[in-house]
Amino acid sequence: MMTKIIRTFVPDMGYASLILLMFCGLIFAVGAILVSRLVSPYKPGKVKSEPYECGIETEGPSWVQFNVGYYLFALIFLVFDVEVVFLFPWAVVLREMGITAFIEIIIFVSILFLGLVYAWRKGALKWV
Amino acid sequence: MTEQYFSGLRIELFLTMLILALLVGKVLAIKQNPIGTLTLISVFLISSIGISFMQNESGYLFGTMFRTNSTILFEKAILLAGTFIVFMLGFEWMKKQKHFLEFCMLLLSTLLGMCFMISSGNFLMFFLGLELATIPLAALASFDLDEKKSSEAGMKLILSSAFASAILLFGISFIYGTTGSVSFDTIASAIDGNNVQKFGFICILTGFAFKISAVPFHFWTADVYEGAPVAITSYLSVVSKGAAIFVLMPVLYHAFGRMSSTYIPALILLSTVTIITGNLFALRQKSMKRFLAFSTVTQAGYLLLGITGNNTEAGASVVYFMLIYIFSNLGAFTVVSILQNRTGRDDIGVYKGLYKTNPTLSMVLLLALFSLAGIPPAAGFFGKLFLLSSAAGAGYYVAVIIASVNMVVSLYYYLNIVKMMFVDEPEITIEKLKPAVTEQISLFICCCGILVIGFIPAIYEYIYNLSAAI
Repeated sequence: MMTKIIRTFVPDMGYASLILLMFCGLIFAVGAILVSRLVSPYKPGKVKSEPYECGIETEGPSWVQFNVGYYLFALIFLVFDVEVVFLFPWAVVLREMGITAFIEIIIFVSILFLGLVYAWRKGALKWV
Repeated sequence: MTEQYFSGLRIELFLTMLILALLVGKVLAIKQNPIGTLTLISVFLISSIGISFMQNESGYLFGTMFRTNSTILFEKAILLAGTFIVFMLGFEWMKKQKHFLEFCMLLLSTLLGMCFMISSGNFLMFFLGLELATIPLAALASFDLDEKKSSEAGMKLILSSAFASAILLFGISFIYGTTGSVSFDTIASAIDGNNVQKFGFICILTGFAFKISAVPFHFWTADVYEGAPVAITSYLSVVSKGAAIFVLMPVLYHAFGRMSSTYIPALILLSTVTIITGNLFALRQKSMKRFLAFSTVTQAGYLLLGITGNNTEAGASVVYFMLIYIFSNLGAFTVVSILQNRTGRDDIGVYKGLYKTNPTLSMVLLLALFSLAGIPPAAGFFGKLFLLSSAAGAGYYVAVIIASVNMVVSLYYYLNIVKMMFVDEPEITIEKLKPAVTEQISLFICCCGILVIGFIPAIYEYIYNLSAAI
């Protein structure tokens, strides 16, 4: 019943509906910004025009040096992250696949382990 | 069952073992040993070329993920040979690098990615291979840490490839949405060429055009080629481009086989624009690497034209042309690499009067440029001949005539360099250069390739039979 009503009012447009959806999305995004720009009162202040960070008043200059070394930890984290993603499905099918799966995961983990050893040899694990 | 996997994946397994061996070596060793490493890599690469000619069963592995047959193995052998020559020509520069082993590992990883890419029977596998081939290349392009231009090249390469990958994925998503599969086989039977699929196909073709630097998408080429180390420039211009062309063929003939009325006009347009624009830009270059960059753009145009022919002829002529192109382009790049290493310059002025000081080097460069231009004794002529006759065989005479006229135009700038070397007076004084042993090997292989391949018709017949067998 419901579908029949919808069918009578909305013609089947095939893939054109995709393009319509794209335009709707665009209009929605642009429209929201435009309407708020038109409707809202414009009273800039020193505090107001500061970029929003976390709600607390900002202190000091934003051009400070911070340690870029964190990317190393992100990279090493990624190694183990990917490892876990592969270990879960492996654990599910281990009983069915038997020794083959076991050998394969040993190879896989040892390759990742080599990566960790490489990072360690390079001194990437040292806190700088 | 298991033997089938080992035999199908033998080249990939060899490369993986080599990369892991280098990694273990890096972790264990205190001092790096460039000569020993190079020997190890050469042995592995040459034996991989050997085993690629072994008896092979064609078929699929891992569902439809991995496809293998004799043509694919031959294509892999071409890429392996290209990588071997790149190692030879760039070794003098590589061995001075602090991170020599990492350089080798990254370069071999990109090769592994390309092997998976040309073996893919599935868009997912193809995309994984493409990313494995692309991301390390950006690191390699920015390998020269002292050169600002090198970092610029890496940055431009990674940004433009990320953009191309995004468009490619967008296209794949449309194909997946309309056919319900990412495997080439299922797509081939489910595709009907409606407008959404056409849009998806154009996006995928755009991704490919970025990779082989066809013209509206070639803007990264000259800057990246100029900034990257010479070894990487030559690798990008030959091996990386070859892999993209090799994988484009099964995608077009196999997955999009029913849409030939869509892809053939697109390819002809793309190739004509590429040839003309590449020629026009090559005329005005002052830097040798930029000049060769636009020369590669033009060659990509001829390759795209060859693809439009009937499937078997097109496949054979493209593989044959790539085989010759590897030797001609790498021959030219070896000379460029030697001169840039010794003089620190790569502008065209260095080559003025080169014949008076370095007759051997200028003869090799002459041969390589003749082959690139397609002048008869060199093998490049036969490569171009088969490409054009493949397109002519399918009846695209206008495109073939435009391409032939452009071959004449390209003679001007190739012969201009030759004239500079043989006729002009030297601008700077270069003493007689003595190429290192590795560079001599590279020069020798390239010369042999250029001189010999054209005169052995059996090679073309062999490739033709391989393509016909599929």
